[in-house]
Amino acid sequence: MNKTKKTLKPFELLNYHMDLKIDILQFLFKFPRFLNGFLFFLRPIYLKKETAWNKRFRWLFLVLGAGKADTLELKAMSHALYAVTDNFFEVKAAKKNREKIVWVEWILNPEICEAFDLVSFNPEVLNVFANSKGMEYPPMIIEAAENQGTPIENCSAQKLAVGSLILEQIPKPSLILGGSHPCDTSISIYQTLEYLTGAPSYIMDFPYWKDEDSYRYYEKNTWELLSFLKKETGKDVDWDKLKTLLDRVNQINNYLREICEMSRAKPCPSSNSLLALAWAIREVNLRSPHMLSMVKAMHQLVRKRYEKGEGVVKKEKLRILLWFPPIPFFFYYFKWMEENFGAVIVADFIGYVSTVHIDTSSKETMIRDLAISQMHLAMGRQCHGPMEFITDEMLKLIDEYEPDCMIFSGHNGCKHGWAGLKIIQDICRGKDLPVLYLNLDIMDKRHTSEEEIKKQTITFFKSHGWA
Amino acid sequence: MDFLDTIKEKASSDGNADLNAFSQRGKKIIGYFCSYFPEEIIHAAGMIPYRMRATGKSDTTKGDIFFSSLNCTFVRRCFDKALNQHFDFLDGIIFLNGCDHTRRLYDNWRHADIKPDFRYMFVAPHKIGRLAEERFSEEMVNLKTAVENAFDLVITDDALRRSIHLYNKKRQLIAALYRERLKESVPIKGSELLSIMLTITMMPVEDAISLLETVIEKIDGRKTHKEGDLRVFMGGGCVEEIAHLELIESVGASIVADNLCLGYRHADMLCDESMDPFLSLARRYLNHFSCPRMMNDFRRRLDFLHTVKKEAAIDAFIFEKLKFCDLWGGEMYLCRQESRKHNYPILLLERELYGGSTGQIRTRIQAFFEQVRNQSYTPSELVVSAGNNYKAVMGGITREEKDHS
Ligand code: SF4
Ligand code: SF4
Repeated sequence: MNKTKKTLKPFELLNYHMDLKIDILQFLFKFPRFLNGFLFFLRPIYLKKETAWNKRFRWLFLVLGAGKADTLELKAMSHALYAVTDNFFEVKAAKKNREKIVWVEWILNPEICEAFDLVSFNPEVLNVFANSKGMEYPPMIIEAAENQGTPIENCSAQKLAVGSLILEQIPKPSLILGGSHPCDTSISIYQTLEYLTGAPSYIMDFPYWKDEDSYRYYEKNTWELLSFLKKETGKDVDWDKLKTLLDRVNQINNYLREICEMSRAKPCPSSNSLLALAWAIREVNLRSPHMLSMVKAMHQLVRKRYEKGEGVVKKEKLRILLWFPPIPFFFYYFKWMEENFGAVIVADFIGYVSTVHIDTSSKETMIRDLAISQMHLAMGRQCHGPMEFITDEMLKLIDEYEPDCMIFSGHNGCKHGWAGLKIIQDICRGKDLPVLYLNLDIMDKRHTSEEEIKKQTITFFKSHGWA
Repeated sequence: MDFLDTIKEKASSDGNADLNAFSQRGKKIIGYFCSYFPEEIIHAAGMIPYRMRATGKSDTTKGDIFFSSLNCTFVRRCFDKALNQHFDFLDGIIFLNGCDHTRRLYDNWRHADIKPDFRYMFVAPHKIGRLAEERFSEEMVNLKTAVENAFDLVITDDALRRSIHLYNKKRQLIAALYRERLKESVPIKGSELLSIMLTITMMPVEDAISLLETVIEKIDGRKTHKEGDLRVFMGGGCVEEIAHLELIESVGASIVADNLCLGYRHADMLCDESMDPFLSLARRYLNHFSCPRMMNDFRRRLDFLHTVKKEAAIDAFIFEKLKFCDLWGGEMYLCRQESRKHNYPILLLERELYGGSTGQIRTRIQAFFEQVRNQSYTPSELVVSAGNNYKAVMGGITREEKDHS
C-alpha cells in the first residue's frame, strides 16, 4: 500500500483530466477528420496491446475509435468529455471554496442535487476514467482497498471507491447518497464509506419488486431524501431547477430509447459502445447540458445510418447480445469485434434504456416519476430482485434484436448473477442460442486480461464457424 | 446421555424424525430463512416454522449445478439438500432477501421446481427507520394473506397476539441464557447454546419454551470453562456447525457473547404486545440487533462491541465469514477498523461451511490466543482463511506497531 501511495500524488488521477492535454483534445475534436487521421496513423503503436510507453494514451485512443470513428461519434465523445471534466472542475472548485460535495452512488443519478444546487460526485468514477492514464491504475486502486481489508470478493467497481478515498484520489464528501442496490457489495461498501468519511448518509432503500407498493415506497424514500438534504444543507428545493433538469432528462431518455429501438434493424446502425459510454457519463454528470448534446449527436448518427439502411459495419456477419456489464479496461471490445469479425453487439445490459417518462407538471409527479425512473436504471433494475428481472429482459432482447449468440460477461463481483447462471444457461439452450461464458473482473485486468478475452472470443467464434 | 447431549444430537440432524411425526399428526411445517422472518405469523396459522439449515449429510455436488463456486457454501449446501429431497417434509418455504446468495435460492428453487409448492419471497428492508417500518408492516400483512390463501385458513388478530406473547416468552428465556453467560462462571458453552438454538428453531414454540426452561434449570451452578480460558465474542453470519465452536472452545475459549444469525438476535427486543400486531412485528424484527444487511445501523453494531466488551469482559473477538460473503466481509472490515482504534484483539477468519481444514483453523486460533495472552494483538494477516484460494493480505497491528504507538 505504501508503495502504491508513493506512486500517486493526491488527486493525480482527477487532475489528469483537467490539464492542457484535455484542452488540446477538445480543440482536436473540432477537426474530426484530422483527429481520425492522426489516430489512424498511430494505430501500429497502440492498437494491439498496452506497453510501457503507450499506456498513457492507448485506452483513450481506443475509446475514441482508433481512427475509425464517425465524425458524429467524435462529436458525441467531445460532449462526453466536457460533461466529465466539467464535473471534475466543479468538484475542485467546491473543495477549494469549502462548499458541500455530495457523493452519489453510481446507480443513483444526481438529479436531486440539482434541485439543491449542490455539487455531486460519483465516487466510483475512476472505475472507468482511471484507465485514461493507464490501465494499471484501477488495479492499483483496488489493491489499496484490499490491502486495508476491503473484502476481496467485493465488486471491484466499488472497491475502487474505497481505494480512491484511501489514496486521496477523490475529494471527501460532506454528504453521501447511497442505495441498497444493485447488490451486496453496495450494501456493504456504503457502510464502509460512511464509516471512513464520517459523512452523514441517506440510504435509498431499493425495493425488491417493481409493483405499485414498491414504487410508492421508493417515492417516499425520495421525499425523505429531500428532507434529509434540506436539514443537512439548510437549503430549500428549487423546483424550477429540478423541472428544467428533468425535462432535459426526458429528452435524453427519449433519444437513447430511440437509438435502442433503431438498433433492432438489420444491419444494426449503432455501436453499443456509445450507449454503454452514455450510461457511464450519466453516472458522472447527467446534470451537464453536454449529456443531452452527446445523446443528440449519437441519435443523429444512428438515425442517419438507419435511414440509409446502413450498419455500423459494412457487412454485418454476427449479431451479439452482451449480457452483464461491459468491460471498462477493454472498452474497445465492441469495436474490436466489429472490425475483425463484422460482429456487432446489438444490445447490452448497461446500454439498453428502459426508463419511464417523468411528468414534470407538478412537484408530486416529478418526485413520483423520478423515483420510478431511478428504479429502471440499468444494473439496478436487473440485479436487484428476482432472477426474472435479468432473464425477462434478456429474453425480450433475444426476441427483439435477434442475436446470433450471446456473450455473458461474468463479472466476479456479480455473485447474484453467477447464482442464476443455470437459469440463464437453460433459457439460452431452450432458445438454441450459443453463449460464450466469460469469467472476468470487469475492472481488473489482472483477473482475465484483454488478450485472454480476445483469445476466448476467437475460439468461440471459430467453434461456431464465424471466424 | 446428558440432557445437553440429547439436544446436540437433535441439532446435528435436520430434524426429520420429530417433524415427520408432527406431519403425520396433520401439522404443517413451513421452512424459512433468516432471522428477519416473523415466525409468529406461521405459528398463528397453526403451523410450525422451521429454520432452514445445511446440517446433516450433504455436500455441494448437486447444489453446484445451480450455484457457482463464487457463491457461499451455506446456500450451495442448502440447495444440495433440497435437490436430494431432504426438505420433503416441508409444506411451504419462505425465502428472504437476506443477501444476494440466499435470494437466488428462491429463483433456483422455482427453476428446479422442488417441493413444496408454496414458495414465497418475504422482503425485508435494508434500513431502519419510520418508512421502513411502515413498509415492513405492510409486508407482514401480505405474508399473512399469502399464507391464508395458500392453506385456506384464517389468521386472526387474537391468534397472532397469542403467538407474539409466546415468542416473547421464548425470547426472554433466551435472553436469560445470554445473561447467564455474562457471569464470571459461565454455565453454558457457546457451542451448547448453538445446539439449543438449532433445536428450538425446528420445533413448536411451546416445546421450545419448555426446553429452554429445563435448560435454565439444569445449568444452574454449572461451570463450563477452565482456568485461563479467554472470554470470547463470536461474530459471523451463517455459523451452524457445533463442532466448529467446540473446536474454538477446545483451544482455550469460553464463548460468552455473539452476533450470529442463530444467536443474540433471537434474544434481543420484545414485540410490543399492546400495539397493532403487524406494526409491532415490523418494529421488533427491523430493530432487533442487526445484521450487516442493514445499511444504516452499523454504528449501533460497532457500539455494541464496546458495550459487550465491558459487560461480558471480553478478552478477544473472533469474526468469521464464509467465502464470497460480501456482507460479513464488509462487517469484518468495519469491526477490524474499530477494534484497531481501541486496541481490541480481533481475529478475522474466512472459511467454508463444513469445509474441514480444522487443523489450520485450530493452529490459527491457538496462535491468536497466544498473542492475546501475550498482549500482542491482531495477527499480522488481515483475514486468515481456511482453505486455499484466497490471498491473505498484510497490514494488521503487530506488537512492534503497538509498541510504537
Ligand atoms: S457490477 Fe455487479 S457486482 Fe458490481 S455493483 Fe454492479 S451488480 Fe454489483
Ligand atoms: S454466509 Fe453470507 S453470503 Fe452466505 S447466506 Fe449468509 S449472509 Fe449470505
